[in-house]
Amino acid sequence: MEGDQDTSDFTLVTRKPCFGLPTACPNCLPAYIYLKLAQLPFQLAFNPTFPDSEELPYFESGTYVAYNNEDGGVIEKLKKDGIVNLDSQLQSLPEYLSLKALIVSWLDEALTYEVWVGTEGISASKIYYSDLPWAIGKFLFYKQTYLAKNRLGLTKENAERREKLIYKRASEAYEALSTRLGEQKFLFEDRPSSLDAFFLSHILFTIQVLPETSVLRCKLLEHSNLVRYAERLKSEFLEASSSSPSPPLHSFPPSFSGKGSKPKSKPKAEKSEEEKKFKKRARFFLAAQFIAVVIYVSVMGGVSSDEVEYEDDD
Amino acid sequence: MANPTENLDPNPRTREPEDEVEEEEEAQELNSDDGELEEEEDEEDDDDDDDTVSNPQTREGQSKTESLPPGNDKTKDHIIEAEVEAVREANTLQELLEASRVANSNLRAMDIFDSVNITLDSGPPELPGTTNVVIEVVESKNPLTGQIGAYTRAEAKSSSVEASLKYKNIFGYGDIWDGSMVYGFDSSAEVGMGMYLPRFKGLPTPFSSQRSLGLSLGLLSSKYHELVYTVAWRNLIDPPRLASESIRRQLGHSLLSALKYTFKYDQRDSYLRPTSGYAFTSTSQIGGLSPDSRSLRFLKQEIDLRCAVPLGFYQTALNFGVSGGVTFPWGSGYRTASSVPERFFLGGNSSPVCSLGGPSALWGFSTRGLGPNEPRRRGDVERDFVGGDAAVTAFADLSFDLSFRWLRERGVHGHVFACAGNMAKLTENEFRNLSAPKLLETFRTSLGAGIVLPVSLFRMEINYCHILKKQEHDRAKSGFFLTFSA
Repeated sequence: MEGDQDTSDFTLVTRKPCFGLPTACPNCLPAYIYLKLAQLPFQLAFNPTFPDSEELPYFESGTYVAYNNEDGGVIEKLKKDGIVNLDSQLQSLPEYLSLKALIVSWLDEALTYEVWVGTEGISASKIYYSDLPWAIGKFLFYKQTYLAKNRLGLTKENAERREKLIYKRASEAYEALSTRLGEQKFLFEDRPSSLDAFFLSHILFTIQVLPETSVLRCKLLEHSNLVRYAERLKSEFLEASSSSPSPPLHSFPPSFSGKGSKPKSKPKAEKSEEEKKFKKRARFFLAAQFIAVVIYVSVMGGVSSDEVEYEDDD
Repeated sequence: MANPTENLDPNPRTREPEDEVEEEEEAQELNSDDGELEEEEDEEDDDDDDDTVSNPQTREGQSKTESLPPGNDKTKDHIIEAEVEAVREANTLQELLEASRVANSNLRAMDIFDSVNITLDSGPPELPGTTNVVIEVVESKNPLTGQIGAYTRAEAKSSSVEASLKYKNIFGYGDIWDGSMVYGFDSSAEVGMGMYLPRFKGLPTPFSSQRSLGLSLGLLSSKYHELVYTVAWRNLIDPPRLASESIRRQLGHSLLSALKYTFKYDQRDSYLRPTSGYAFTSTSQIGGLSPDSRSLRFLKQEIDLRCAVPLGFYQTALNFGVSGGVTFPWGSGYRTASSVPERFFLGGNSSPVCSLGGPSALWGFSTRGLGPNEPRRRGDVERDFVGGDAAVTAFADLSFDLSFRWLRERGVHGHVFACAGNMAKLTENEFRNLSAPKLLETFRTSLGAGIVLPVSLFRMEINYCHILKKQEHDRAKSGFFLTFSA
């Protein structure tokens, strides 16, 4: 095609959708949510054959391109280049930096650990390699697992210790963020920020992509206000129709349910409450049955002895 | 990294004057009993073939004897025998001469011998009508060689400097192990390692924007036919992060599993300066031959036609030719864009007179210098020429001897030429916008004149080229150019 392509269309190129998310890649999802929170209309395009690229996600508009491996990430680059900035006046706040450190270091580290080590990469194959030939996918999986372990500083000697530290930090981060958030709509006052994008992305990925057996997922679900926060923002910004033409993705479930890798699984939060109710009802039922049997036996036992005496008289 | 198989030519036309004289003399001696000679060869053919197979090293009592070279201390005998197989099958003297020339070329192309000589000698007197074929090779004394050079590839984004080290014939199978380092002018660097076997052609070759690791297997190789299977893991990258949109969309990993069939019929009298004859080449390639449906699926067809007509004075000859090609994806992705490395790119520093590999050469236009193009990332004024799914080129070249005897003796001659070419995108429904008038209207054309210097195995041209017609953004300008063809 010959000629310039200098249009005003915005396009975000990410890895492919999966697990009910518009993009299942934990590095790409924050950028998607950030643009949605900013209510900037954009197209979504996918690159399904470059799982080890550091440039994804990237944002383009005509000849302008913001790669993820430049200037601190695609979100920072969009802020710096004046495309969209949700953090104006927030960046000077001391809590901003501390929360950012919690989310982009401790939680990000925990998520990386859980995806590549904790769950042994069960979800990674669907996110990254399903469109690649088997042999290439397998090689890249081992390569990326190895790189992730290196990045996390894991060795055979310190694996157990590092795992405990990672999960401990994640728990503390969840606790701090849960306390900070309370029942607020956003982390900062009533306006969305890039930290909401990162945190929401983390929560959605943890609940919808990681399997039920995931330790990180269990820890997150202990904080119901975080789950409600995610559900609220998801239904308002991600599921609601917007001016941007959204691509045909997997439809979001009407209620917040963690699909995970098994279609029949239910979120553990609901299941635990339902289980409790069920068990309680079951106990009542059993108790009622027991009492009924006892009454029956005692009453019917008396009637049968009278009948025997009557027969003897004859 | 230069692939030795690129030099393999089943129909080499280049001869050194001394060889021609010797062969003519031998041919004359052997031709003295021409009719009887051929008959006897034919009669004894079967027996001699059997003898040759059973006892290849015996010199006495055979019509065609190969004296296996004393020089191959390391190289396995069967490796050399495989390259001279056609000599055994020759039935007439002419076929024997031709087969010997091909065998000589093939053995040299293996790149593990310092010298190769094949001598045809009359057989023992007690066996009239026989020929002894003596092959003498001298293995390279120093198996380690180095090379440094500047290259431009049609699929690469820019030129590069490449240094490589080769270790030859470690195991005696004609194996060549090499390591190379490529530094691109776009500040990218690649390191590659490769292995080449005569029957298994390895092609790990680093590019500045394309990493490829794979294997090429020659399934069939004869005078006219060649069938090659290639499997390679390809990774298209963009180190400077300046690529245009359609190139960005194609960055990533892919698996190439393709079968390529080439039919080549070259009856021209010379490859470097054809003055009579014609040549026809057809190359068909199908990709996606793998149980995994996620490998690269495409079909590609290229055709070359060349004709050389002698005009009868001053060794003047008119060469003209046409080349065309088309590629498109198949399977579930047939609506998507074709893969960039499979597309056609026109332009470069080679002469269309010699090249027989589909539409590529066009005098006066830079490598990847015309066709569909897009702007690169903001901040770069250059444009990306993304290649075309269909391409066609045509040329006419009139070559003639120069008046100076000193130049004539060295094969230096002049030529005037004209060429035209065009390419188009067909995928993503672009074929609907294509029409013959539009294609003709956008044809690029150039003409010029120059001097041709044949240098051993390649041809160098110093030309002045005038661009008659080009399109916006094409990288072409009138002026002096140097071209190399091998």
